[in-house]
Amino acid sequence: MEATTYNYKVVRQFAIMTVVWGIVGMLVGVILAAQLIWPDMLFGIEWLSYGRLRPLHTNAVIFAFGGSAMFAVSYYIVQRTCQVRLWAEKLAAFTFWGWTAVIVLAAVTLPLGYTSSKEYAELEWPIDILITVVWVSYALVFFGTIVKRKTKHIYVSNWFFGAYILVIAILHLVNSAELPVTMTKSYSAYAGVQDAMVQWWYGHNAVGFFLTTAFLGMMYYFIPKQAGRPIYSYRLSVVHFWSLNFIYMWAGPHHLQYTALPDWAQSLGMVFSLMLLAPSWGGMMNGIMTLSGAWHKLRTDPILKFMVTALSFYGMSTFEGPMMSIKTVNALSHYTEWNIAHVHSGALGWVAMITIGSMYYLIPRLFGRESMYSTKLIEWHFWLSTIGVVMYIASMWIAGVAQGLMWRAANADGTLTYSFAQVLNTMYPFYGIRLLGGTLFFGGMLMMAWNVWQTTRQGRVVNDAPIPQAVHA
Amino acid sequence: MDSGIISGIVTAVFIVVFIGIVWWAYSKGNKQRFEDAGKLPFDDDDSQGIPSQRDITPAKQGDKQ
Repeated sequence: MEATTYNYKVVRQFAIMTVVWGIVGMLVGVILAAQLIWPDMLFGIEWLSYGRLRPLHTNAVIFAFGGSAMFAVSYYIVQRTCQVRLWAEKLAAFTFWGWTAVIVLAAVTLPLGYTSSKEYAELEWPIDILITVVWVSYALVFFGTIVKRKTKHIYVSNWFFGAYILVIAILHLVNSAELPVTMTKSYSAYAGVQDAMVQWWYGHNAVGFFLTTAFLGMMYYFIPKQAGRPIYSYRLSVVHFWSLNFIYMWAGPHHLQYTALPDWAQSLGMVFSLMLLAPSWGGMMNGIMTLSGAWHKLRTDPILKFMVTALSFYGMSTFEGPMMSIKTVNALSHYTEWNIAHVHSGALGWVAMITIGSMYYLIPRLFGRESMYSTKLIEWHFWLSTIGVVMYIASMWIAGVAQGLMWRAANADGTLTYSFAQVLNTMYPFYGIRLLGGTLFFGGMLMMAWNVWQTTRQGRVVNDAPIPQAVHA
Repeated sequence: MDSGIISGIVTAVFIVVFIGIVWWAYSKGNKQRFEDAGKLPFDDDDSQGIPSQRDITPAKQGDKQ
């Protein structure tokens, strides 16, 4: 018999874990920010040292928080816009438990010091294999659902999700090619500059396809829904999709300016990065213009505020990124705190805020409520997050530019003007402001947790959301 | 063939592909199809019997949120 309801269970599981992992990942971030000011604050316990917590933070916020959010919204959107129940639901349930197992394994192995030392891909080879199995299952569930869809068209969000699932699979397989030596140690299949290029082809596209393409798919569904009107230009979204994904693939070399990478490859990376500005801003405008005629809603709707602010940060960081890829700018910005500012403008401002907004839309619907327990608390969360991000990135911008200028300052005889420790000393006030900003953002997440808890307590678990039976032609 | 010629050919191919995509997206024949696709999020009501008017509220009406 054909299913008449949507599968909300797996969506609900991932949605709740998004909030949980968001809190865990950001807490580790706050601890790291404090460690940079007080290096000995955790009594020199090696499991909690900066070098081990740092990959835990990045993995937790990108793959646990961001990943769970993407599973939740892609399963929700693919069902609702294809008007069918998920294909292979047991496999979908496996993706939840499998992905959660990956996260738990990461949380255990990274502090213990097991690492393949590849940035954003530190997990050792047995976990890499588990990730592959989970990801292939995810692809089967997602594309299987698309195949059995009742609607004629495939909504643009699903195109973005499809690209994300496909590209992340390729990136993971290529970048994690490694030779296992023991159960807990492996060596990369690549060496030298090839290893660096593969790493940053992966690293940049993890940003491009995990943190951008996927979350744009989220944006293309939840902004129209929350604003109550279709996307400003669907045709622009089609051009956006193809040009963004095509160009992103080639921008990785900008992480290796002035290294052993051949000069032409560095320039190629720079040129493609500059071109990225066009599709990025096209997509941002498309999202923002969706509100034209409904701007008044921004005054009263904090969920919409989250989403539109997220797009503004998306616009800012996709302007900043191409600028930083220009070789002469990169000579100043690379290896400094400016990078940290850029990353968090994207990660907190764009990824986290669009996720938070979408979760505030989604979670009540998964628990049979019209809205969250407290709209006022969402408003508070919005302002805490916004002020937190601004403090974070402004302090790191100033710190980064100061750092870059001090590093390159030279005396008349060619010696360096400042020692490394002197530069570090200059950073302290900015590290303090960053810690405060990060703590504010984290505080907002705690408010969200309380709000979600109350919403689930007063709501009921929805497992009977009906699929519309009168399918349009 | 030196790298300059290769760059030139690749650039030309990319431009043609891009123009092709834009032409395809904005061609008259595809107008209706893309408009239909754009309405997909609104083709099913996700309020599950909750008396919500939020989805597809005409913009001029005040939003009660």
